[in-house]
Amino acid sequence: MARRLKAAAAGKRGPPAALLGPPSSEDEADEAPEQVSFGVAKEAAETQRKLVGEAARRHRELLKEKRRRRQELFAEQKKRKLLPEAVLQELAAAPPAGLAELGKPALATAGISCVSVVLGSVPALQGFTSLYLTRSKGNYTAVCLKEQSLTPGLQQQLAKDFINTQLYGPGTNRVQANEFFSLENKKNPVKKAAVQFVDKSWGEYKNSK
Amino acid sequence: MGEFEVHRVRFFGLVPAGVRCLACQPRGARLALARTDGAVEIYNCSANYFQEKVIPGHEARSVEALCWAAGERLFGAGLSGDITEYDLAGLRVARSLPGSGGPIWSMAANSSGTRLAVGCEDGSVKLFQVIPGGIQFERNLDRRKGRILCLSWHPSGTHIAAGSIDIFRVLDVSSGQTVQRVMVNYQVQKVKRECVVWSIAFLSSGTVVTCDSFGRVQFWDWERGTLLESHTVSTSSVLSLAVSEKEDSIIVGTSTGATYQFQLLPVKMGSLEKRWVRTKPFQHHTHDVRAVAHSSTALISGGLDAQLVIRPLMEKVQKKSYDAALRKFTFPHRRLVSCARKARLLLFQFSQHLELWRLGSTDETGEDGEVLPLRRLPEHLVQLKSKGPEHIYCSCVSPCGSWVAYSTASRFHLYRVQHKGDSVSIKKVPKVPKLLLPAYQLQFSADSSSLFVASARGSVHVLQLLEPGGCKHLHTHRPPSESPEAVYLLAVSADGHWLAAAGGDWTIHVYNLKCSKHHCTVPTYSCAVTALAIHPLTNNLVIAYSDQQLFEFSIPEKQYTAWSRTVQSCGLHTVWLERDSPITHITFNPKNPSHILLHDTYMFCVLDKSLPLPDNSALLMNQSTLKQLPETARQRQLHAFKICKKFQPLLFADLLDEKCLVMVERPIMDIKTQLPLPVQQKKFGT
Repeated sequence: MARRLKAAAAGKRGPPAALLGPPSSEDEADEAPEQVSFGVAKEAAETQRKLVGEAARRHRELLKEKRRRRQELFAEQKKRKLLPEAVLQELAAAPPAGLAELGKPALATAGISCVSVVLGSVPALQGFTSLYLTRSKGNYTAVCLKEQSLTPGLQQQLAKDFINTQLYGPGTNRVQANEFFSLENKKNPVKKAAVQFVDKSWGEYKNSK
Repeated sequence: MGEFEVHRVRFFGLVPAGVRCLACQPRGARLALARTDGAVEIYNCSANYFQEKVIPGHEARSVEALCWAAGERLFGAGLSGDITEYDLAGLRVARSLPGSGGPIWSMAANSSGTRLAVGCEDGSVKLFQVIPGGIQFERNLDRRKGRILCLSWHPSGTHIAAGSIDIFRVLDVSSGQTVQRVMVNYQVQKVKRECVVWSIAFLSSGTVVTCDSFGRVQFWDWERGTLLESHTVSTSSVLSLAVSEKEDSIIVGTSTGATYQFQLLPVKMGSLEKRWVRTKPFQHHTHDVRAVAHSSTALISGGLDAQLVIRPLMEKVQKKSYDAALRKFTFPHRRLVSCARKARLLLFQFSQHLELWRLGSTDETGEDGEVLPLRRLPEHLVQLKSKGPEHIYCSCVSPCGSWVAYSTASRFHLYRVQHKGDSVSIKKVPKVPKLLLPAYQLQFSADSSSLFVASARGSVHVLQLLEPGGCKHLHTHRPPSESPEAVYLLAVSADGHWLAAAGGDWTIHVYNLKCSKHHCTVPTYSCAVTALAIHPLTNNLVIAYSDQQLFEFSIPEKQYTAWSRTVQSCGLHTVWLERDSPITHITFNPKNPSHILLHDTYMFCVLDKSLPLPDNSALLMNQSTLKQLPETARQRQLHAFKICKKFQPLLFADLLDEKCLVMVERPIMDIKTQLPLPVQQKKFGT
C-alpha cells in the first residue's frame, strides 16, 4: 500500500507512474507492481483522508460538546448558590454601613460562633464576598467580637464527639447499668431481683390512660 | 438514753461527677483532682486525705489536664482551649490564657516546674514559661497532623513524647523538631479501627511507655523506634498511666474499672537485668478509670463512678497500721444539706440548683426498729435554679425557714420564703450589699436576724436581715493577723453572742458579736478542721479535726474544758480514730446539755459527756450488745460513745426536736444507676 501511495504521490508530480512503468530498477520487486490507475488511487487516497478528517473532526466536536456541557453545569451550580438576582442587587445597593456590618464576620478571626450565624442566614457568602471584593476602597472596621465562652465552638464539639465515640461508640462493649449491677444478684447463692427491678416507664402508660 | 423518731430521707438525688484528672504535688503532700463538671478539689495527704479545698465547676469549663508547676501553683487546661491557673487561697480561677491551638487535650510540666508543654487538637505542642504572675508563650514545636492526646517530658527536660492516634512522636525541645515517629499499631494490621494512644510516659532510661485503646501497655526504645515489651492487660482500652518518682513502679487504669501495677523487677534474684512485670491487679471501680496517680507511698485512682481510691503500697508502709488501709471517697467532705429545724425544711445543694423540701409527718408511734406509716408525704416545695454557668459554692436556709441564701463565684443571692398555709412563695431580695465574692460558707443566726458570710482573707461579713425582705451590711470581722486563706467553716452561738470561724490555714478565730471585736484564737492544731459547733447553753466550741480528734474549747474562759483535757489524756478509741470519713456536722440536744451529736458518712454518734470514756480494750460500737444485757450489767458497760451504723451512707444528720432526728442518706447504688454506661463484664454462666 505504501508503494501504491508513493506511486500516486510520485504520479502527481509527473506523468502517471502506472503508464511509465515501475519507477526504477532499485525497486527489487519480484512481482510486478499492481496496475492501478492514477485516478482510482487518487480517489482512494482522498476518501481515506476525508474519512480520517471526519473522524478527527467528530472527535473534536465531541470534546467541545463535553466541555460546553461541563461549563454549563458549573454555571448552573454557581447560579443556584447565589441568591436571586433581585436580592443581590438590593444588597449591593444597600448603604455602606450595612455592608460594613456584614463584612465584619468575614474579617473576624475563626472560632467565633457569630460566623456560623451569618453563614446560616446568607447561604452564598462566597457569592456575596465576591461582590464585596469587587469594591476597590471599602470603609470598614475590624472589631473583635465578644468572647463566646458559653457556646462551645465547632472544634470543641468535634473534640467531645471524638471522646464519646472512642469511649462509648460502637465496639466499646458497653452495657446498661441495670444489667451490670444485677449480675451479682443473679450469681449469689440466694438469688435476688435485679437492681432496678421495676421499669419506671410502666407507670407513665397507666397515668396517661 | 433516748428514743427518737427518725425521718429517713432518701430523696436527695445527688450524683457526684466522675473523676477526670489527678495530679500529685511533686514535693508536697497535696493531691489535686479535677472532675468532669469542671470542679477542682485538693486533698491533703498528710491530714488523713481530707478534702480541704473545693473549687466548684463551671458549665463551659472542662478540665482535661491538671498539673502542678513551680511548687505550689496549679494549672489546668481543657477543651475550651484555655490554660487556667487556679487561685488556691481564693478558690477560683486566677487567670486564663488562650492556647490558640484549639481544644487542649494534655498538659505536662517539666521536672523543675518552669515550663509547661501543652498538646492541642491541631497536632501542635506549645511551650509556655511559668513566670511569677502567670504564664508566657514561649514557642511552638513541630506540628503534624493528628491531635496530641497525651504528653510527657523526659526527666532531663530535653525531649517530649507526644501520643496521638496510631502514632507517638518524640520531639527535641531545643530544636523543636520531631526526632522520632513510631507507629503503635503496626502489629494489628487486620483490625480496621484506629489505635488511640491514651497516655504516655517518658522514663529517664529512654524508654517510652504507652497505653492504648487495644488494651496494651507497651515499652519502646525511642531512639531506635523499636518495641521492647508489650503487655495486653485488658480487652477494653487502657485509659491512664502514672509512673512513680523512682521509676520502678507504674499504675495503669482501664475502661473496665480495673487498675494494674507494673513493677521493674530483676529477672533472677540478684541479677542486674530488670524487666517490667505486671504484678498487682485491683478492681476498685465499676466504671472507667480515667485518672491515676502514683505518690511515694500509694497508688491513687479516680474513676467515672466518682470514687477516689487510695491504695497504700504495703512495702512502703513502715508498720501495719491504719496508714495501710484502703481509702475510698465518694462523697464530698463538707455539708451539702442545711436544715430549718423549726419549720422542718431541708435545703439540698446541687451543683447548679437548690431544692427546698418539707419533711413528712406521722401520728403513730412504735417500737424500736419499726417503720411508721406517713400521714403526710415529704413535699418538694421549691427548686431554685442558679442563673448563669457558674456552680454553687455554698447555700443555707434560716432556722425559721423564711430565708434562703446561696453564692456562686460572682453572685450572691438572698431569697425571702413566704409560707401561706401549705404553699410556699419565694421572692428575691433585690439590693444585697456588695461583698467580695465568692462566699465560702453561709450561716444564719439562731433567731434568723442576721446572716454571716465567710469570705476571703479570713474575714467574715455580718449582714442584718430586715423585714419584709431586705438586707444591710453591719460589720466585717477580720483576724488580728493578715491571712491569705479564706474562711471555710462558721459556727454561731444560740444566744447570738459568739461567732467561730475556721480558715484554710487551720486556725480558728472567735469573735464577740456584741462588741464586734476579736475575742480569742483557739490554739493551733496540726490538722484541718472538719466541723465546728457552739453549745447553746455552755458556749463551748466543739471542734472535729480531720485526724478524728475531738476538742472542746470554752469560749468565755478561753481555754480547753476539763472534759476535753480528759479526752486528750486518755486518748480516743482506736476504732474511732481509724474511721474513713471526717465528721461533717456537730449538733446538740437542748434538753440534754451533756450530749453532742455528730456524724460522718458511715455512722451517727451521740456522745454523752457524763459517761466514762471507753479504753481500747472495750468495744466501741456496743449498742447492740447493750440492748441484750440486763439493766445492771448494762450500767457497767455503758460508755460515752453511742454509735449507730444503721443509716449509711449518711450525708447529713440533725436533731429536729428532742424526739425527732432526720437522716439524709444516699445509697451508692442509686448513684451508680445514673452514671454513664459501664463496660460489660462477661461472667461464666450468665
